[in-house]
Amino acid sequence: MIAAHALTKRYGSTLAVDHLSFEVSPGVVTGFLGPNGSGKSTTMRMIMGLDTPSYRTASVNGQAYAQLRWPLREVGALLDAKAFHPGRSAYDHLWGLALTNGIPRARIDEVLDMVGLTEVAHQRAGKYSLGMGQRLGIAAALLGDPGVLLFDEPINGLDPEGIRWARYLLRDLAAEGRTVLVSSHLISEMSLTAERLVVIGRGTLIAEMSVSEFTSQSAPDTVRVVTPMTESFVNALQEAGAESRVEPGGSIVATGLTATEIGTLAADRVLTLYELTPLQGSLEDAFMDLTHDAVEFRTASPTRSNGKVPT
Amino acid sequence: MTVLPSLDHLPGRTGIRQVVRAEWFKLRSLRSTTWTLLATVVGSLAVTVLATNSVQRHGPSIGFDPTNHSLTGLALGSLTIGVLGVLAITAEYSSGTIRSTLAATPRRPVLLGAKAIVIGLVSLVVGEVLTFACFAIGQGVLSGRAPTASLGDPGVLRALVLTGAYLALLGLFGLGLGVIIRHTAGAIATYVGVIFLIPIFLQPLSSSGNPGRFAPEQMLANSVAAVVPQSGQVSAPLGCLLMVVYCALVLAVAMMLLRSRDA
Repeated sequence: MIAAHALTKRYGSTLAVDHLSFEVSPGVVTGFLGPNGSGKSTTMRMIMGLDTPSYRTASVNGQAYAQLRWPLREVGALLDAKAFHPGRSAYDHLWGLALTNGIPRARIDEVLDMVGLTEVAHQRAGKYSLGMGQRLGIAAALLGDPGVLLFDEPINGLDPEGIRWARYLLRDLAAEGRTVLVSSHLISEMSLTAERLVVIGRGTLIAEMSVSEFTSQSAPDTVRVVTPMTESFVNALQEAGAESRVEPGGSIVATGLTATEIGTLAADRVLTLYELTPLQGSLEDAFMDLTHDAVEFRTASPTRSNGKVPT
Repeated sequence: MTVLPSLDHLPGRTGIRQVVRAEWFKLRSLRSTTWTLLATVVGSLAVTVLATNSVQRHGPSIGFDPTNHSLTGLALGSLTIGVLGVLAITAEYSSGTIRSTLAATPRRPVLLGAKAIVIGLVSLVVGEVLTFACFAIGQGVLSGRAPTASLGDPGVLRALVLTGAYLALLGLFGLGLGVIIRHTAGAIATYVGVIFLIPIFLQPLSSSGNPGRFAPEQMLANSVAAVVPQSGQVSAPLGCLLMVVYCALVLAVAMMLLRSRDA
């Protein structure tokens, strides 16, 4: 269980994270989504006690990170691809961490095996590829067998096979009842991995919902219209306030009116209608839409100071 | 699958004992530690051999301090022992390891305390052994060409023990600067500046007195490592005391910054 309570981080005059509140529950993978620079990494560093919030707090299992008795047994995190010394081997890096939290030696071989680094465990980590470094970071996160896991852009640098492996790993960890928070700026990746989403833009919360809710709520109404009277139909749609474009096959894709409204419009104008299909907006569109709104919202009212988050 | 003991049944919490063990292992597992200590030992002994070997046969007599002369090489060792302290923390910042380290040990005073214990003890042992080795080798080279000292002579043992301990303080001083500055090159440059260069710059500025006598390297060379008191220098006990104060100040600032800064 991870919780942020009006978490705020200010760098000079810039608010990197602005009264951000959300909760991450065990049992499902929660995607932490936002464009680059939206404050995801800063938020994760504050949860881990690495950065001090300017205002309010974040907690893990109801406690501030620094209060945890054996932190690596409760929380594991991959925040950086390179959080190890290039001169130390993977094994030694993990043993140095294990010693601090009373983790037995046997566990190191286990996590090295889980991430597939057993064969290079005694090589200097400076020789590792980006993907191998990422695997070492994941091994470090799993070291204390923690119930709460945070991964910041974990698939960066992984090859396609590694990406598939990471997806299954994240879902398996959640299925074991762990709390899993994974950040990404790619909604397409999150749609494959996550069940719930925490979406932020410019440091504020935009949405906290399931992936399916997210798609259906935020996708604009898009409808495919097949008609022999293309030109008249496009004009009618335009007059009714919808945007439309004609596809190469001759069908019209209209945005801004629901299928019901278009059906009524066709009846009113006596236009022949062969097909009327509501289209599921893509996640990518939904994401762009939401974060675009957040940017517009900020520009429209830059002096907002009541600490509320837009939803 | 290793079953880790459930947290409910695991008493206590991670503390200085666990973190000292981890920091001791981390120091040993880096090649830079070996190289730095090797440079400290080989460099100091080599300079001592050169310095004592350059003493003219039957030249010096009055006021010649064979103990002090044999410890000349430690000027080099006092540089590299500081580098050991600096690297203990700046290498964590430059590599990004600091974030793993602080995730495992979020209570920062515990982390700095553990690093200070490990660096302090390692540089104390290396400092004492190296000081006695410089003395022994230096006296060997001097014998036959100049007066020599032995451990039983008045003041010799005290000078050697304090010099070794002084090197440990320099290691801690380097650690404190490393925490404050966080960049290897910047911290080493500052260390060299404070330890070696300040007296050189202070010298021409002051007509009366010798402000450079309070600088760390001068106190080591002219006071702590001396058996024959030198005029215009602080006494050996005062030199040691001042160095303890310098260390305490630097480590206090380091602790304050480590606690308040984002990692």
